[in-house]
Amino acid sequence: MPDTQPILSLKAVRKMFGPQAAVDSIDLDIAEGEFFTIVGPSGSGKTTMLRMLAGMDTPTSGDILLRGERINDIPANKRPTCMVFQSLALFPHRTVGQNIEFPLKIRGEAPERRKARALQLMDLLRLPQSYYGKNVLKCSGGERQRVALARALAYDPQILFFDEPLSAIDYKLRKTLEKELKDIHRETRKTFVYITHSLEEAMVMSDRIGVMRAGRLVQVGTPQQIYSTPNTRFVSEFVGDVNVLPVSIGHDGKLHDATTGLHLKAPPIPRDFVQGHMVIRPEFLRFLESPEQADNAVSGRLYNEYALGSRIQYQVRVGDSVFVVEKLRQQPFTGRLDDEVIIGWDARDAILVTD
Amino acid sequence: MANGSKMSRRNFMQQSALMAAAFAGAGSILPGSAQAAREKELNILCWEGYNSAQVLDPFRTKTGATVKAESLTNDPTMINRLRAGETNVWDLINVNNPWARKVMFPEKLIKPLDRARFEPFFDKMMPEFKPPYKWAMDDSGTELLGMAQRFGPYSFVVNTDKVSRATAEDQGWNLWNDAANDGKYGILESDDWNVFCICCIAGFDPFKTHSDEEVAKFTETAKRVFKGAKVVGDIATMNQSLVAGEIDFHLTGGTYSASPARADGHPEIRGITPKTGPMAGGKGGISWIEITSTVNNPELSPLAADFLEYVQSPEMSHTVAFAEGTFNPVSQMGNPDCFKLFTKEELDAIQWDSLAEEMSRSVEYDIVPDYDKLLDIMTAAKREASGG
Amino acid sequence: MALSQGTRSAIPVILFLLAGFAAPLMAVIWFSFMPPRSFSFAGTPTLENYATIFESTSYISFLWSLGLAVVTVVLLAAICYPVAYGLVRVFGKWATLLTLLFTIPLFVSENIRLYGWVLFLIKNGVLLGSLKSLFGLQLESMLFTVPAIVLGMVYVYLPFMLFPMTLGISMVPNETRDAAFDLGATRWQVFKEVELPLSMPGVVIGFLLTFVLAVGSIAEAKVLGGQSVIPITHDIEIAFTYSQNWPLGSALAVLLMLVVGTLVVLALRRFDLDTFLGRR
Repeated sequence: MPDTQPILSLKAVRKMFGPQAAVDSIDLDIAEGEFFTIVGPSGSGKTTMLRMLAGMDTPTSGDILLRGERINDIPANKRPTCMVFQSLALFPHRTVGQNIEFPLKIRGEAPERRKARALQLMDLLRLPQSYYGKNVLKCSGGERQRVALARALAYDPQILFFDEPLSAIDYKLRKTLEKELKDIHRETRKTFVYITHSLEEAMVMSDRIGVMRAGRLVQVGTPQQIYSTPNTRFVSEFVGDVNVLPVSIGHDGKLHDATTGLHLKAPPIPRDFVQGHMVIRPEFLRFLESPEQADNAVSGRLYNEYALGSRIQYQVRVGDSVFVVEKLRQQPFTGRLDDEVIIGWDARDAILVTD
Repeated sequence: MANGSKMSRRNFMQQSALMAAAFAGAGSILPGSAQAAREKELNILCWEGYNSAQVLDPFRTKTGATVKAESLTNDPTMINRLRAGETNVWDLINVNNPWARKVMFPEKLIKPLDRARFEPFFDKMMPEFKPPYKWAMDDSGTELLGMAQRFGPYSFVVNTDKVSRATAEDQGWNLWNDAANDGKYGILESDDWNVFCICCIAGFDPFKTHSDEEVAKFTETAKRVFKGAKVVGDIATMNQSLVAGEIDFHLTGGTYSASPARADGHPEIRGITPKTGPMAGGKGGISWIEITSTVNNPELSPLAADFLEYVQSPEMSHTVAFAEGTFNPVSQMGNPDCFKLFTKEELDAIQWDSLAEEMSRSVEYDIVPDYDKLLDIMTAAKREASGG
Repeated sequence: MALSQGTRSAIPVILFLLAGFAAPLMAVIWFSFMPPRSFSFAGTPTLENYATIFESTSYISFLWSLGLAVVTVVLLAAICYPVAYGLVRVFGKWATLLTLLFTIPLFVSENIRLYGWVLFLIKNGVLLGSLKSLFGLQLESMLFTVPAIVLGMVYVYLPFMLFPMTLGISMVPNETRDAAFDLGATRWQVFKEVELPLSMPGVVIGFLLTFVLAVGSIAEAKVLGGQSVIPITHDIEIAFTYSQNWPLGSALAVLLMLVVGTLVVLALRRFDLDTFLGRR
């Protein structure tokens, strides 16, 4: 089935730094034209992995295949892939135009053709044509971002790698650039492999997301899958604030809160589940008039509230534990700080994870 | 700023600071402000030796005074520093024989000594220094202008393993008129003396005003002599080159320059005084005698005269003769109490065996009336020797 | 108009610099217009010293100084760039040790180091003596020749080229080199297109520093060259010492400053540091 062959395949890829495995037994297929994002905290091995994919590092063992061809030992300058660096790595001694034309100049293309292509790319990235002769260091953060992307696109790579290029940019601009990047992806139909420590960022742009932890891929899936069915507590917590209850299967075969022993209604329990955590996102918790209004309910003291724009987040203390509850601003609620409140959630909104 | 090397920059900074001081001094002179302080202060401008710790430290201990001494290696620089206004800095100046009598006293740069106090010291010196000693007196013969101590013949130096003493003394300055010797000799960078030597090589007396023909001859000789030199350098370089065999002899030198090498176990390095030459009386060598005078300082330190007396003692005279750097005979060796302090090795180092003979074959260093012109010609010759 | 806080704070420093640098410099310039062989600032200004210089063979000394400096700078560039590159990129943990080895000689006086070379190069010295006793080779000594001067200058000024270059090369960000390589450049192209231009500030500073130092050198020609070459600095020294012609010496110094200053300004115009550093 040639048309479903992945553009990039990793087979048991491992990278050792001394006795330490920075990247450990990664198996992954990335499809042609996909926007794939690897998410993980710093130190999880995602940058090492990207450097191996780009050809700046070689795996200690395992294979990297590009359209089925093993490329482990092909250096970066011979691979049809290109990277946008965290620092952008623009050439400070060159103009915007010279930066973008760099790969074309290396390839020996004629100056007129280079310029035409550069202007075309500047157009695509909404950089004014007048910037052609401008020193890159005179450009703003967002403009530099676009120059770096244009330069990478000028290389005409089959895969574009991104090493957290938006991490140093302020929130508002980042949000704009995330969308622009997704637009560029749509426009160019190239395969994008992106790494970030922000799952939020990954959610916005990606077709699929792989979550990395300590050198391993712990979950791969669509943003929806990662969000709604995290397979580990690690993944669930990575998405943002979540409520995590330690749970176990009691002698009655039912699910109990591990600390209180209370019986909890749950979604279908995986077959070999013995103990683990129940994860409930704050927006699935709600304030109740009476405990019967939800499958599960607890009562606690309303400790604090935080306005998050369109939503309001509450902290509710139940015994020694803390629950985080979120509601939309327009939903009515009259509770005040230190009030006794009942909060509850339905079984279908809870997720059981083993780890 | 412009000239970068340490040596030249230091010189340069000194000169600049000096100019700045002269500049500032012109504007404001505060009379009498430091009168009291000078009781315990003594500043000496001298050739190396008098600035050594061996000479100065006992005096410092004895008097509790702050004694500063700066050494230079040519007379004109020292004289000109007094001319530039440093007479109110220095108390003693130690230069070669003609300057006190012919230049500094007439220009009121120095003041006379107390004859009654200092003349008796000349009685104890070697016979040729018997009072009234010409170079210590003014022209009228009434004023005592300074004290004599170190002296020596100063013509040229050979490695006697390469050129025998007899050959060198016989050939004399003609060693430099033999083209076969090109590349075999060095020149000590003692440019005032080199002017004298080149005159001698050219065949005329340096210590007179020269005719146009003589100046032309001088120009030609200077070019030729510098062109043929293997190396021009300081005393250490000359001695090292002689010992190593890079050169066989070098221009301008004598006990003063050869003594360090002789003391270091190289008796083959020897100062030579030619038997004959173009100077008065057919003499072939040149000698020098240092005269130390009190500067015409408006606030002359009373320690200046005390110091002159201090260095006359047999022990201190011996110390001065063998102070660090170069080793020289001293006039006080005429005093048996002083002479007995010299060991056989020390006498060998200063060529005592031939000293009297060499001095008798030498004329005494004198002022060259057209020195500036000849020096400029020689400097250009030296530069042009490197030009092609 | 009131002075800004910054300007007012800078006044003591400005005054210090004026007194420490500008005043002696002005004194030298003024002195160069005084009558020959005078020792006072009060003479009638004259161009006589400059006329003397232009009529003389001083140009030989200027050419020697500039020529030796150019040769020194070129040799140093060829020697130091690979070494600096190695120190930054190749030698790893040995780099510190090597840097130390290059630094230690700086703690010894220049003259002593040069006399060390004399002992090494002199006839029957360390080099020729060993060759003679070990292999029976008898070679002509190179001491007191122009190559010996160049050797001394290269040796003495090496750190002044090496360290700015090292700094310049280490200023090139790793990601920038990686990026160029990733964009298809070969190692040589990475060097030519990225590393060399981005390390130019260090290279240019090294060039200027060593050139200015080398033009001002005097000890190498004196000690290792045995004065077979008279650089302009030596002429200046002679003017201030044996000749006792301070105005002539000042005029030579002023001319040297003008020549070197002009060359430096031209060089800076050609290689604008700000452009390299991307500030313009």
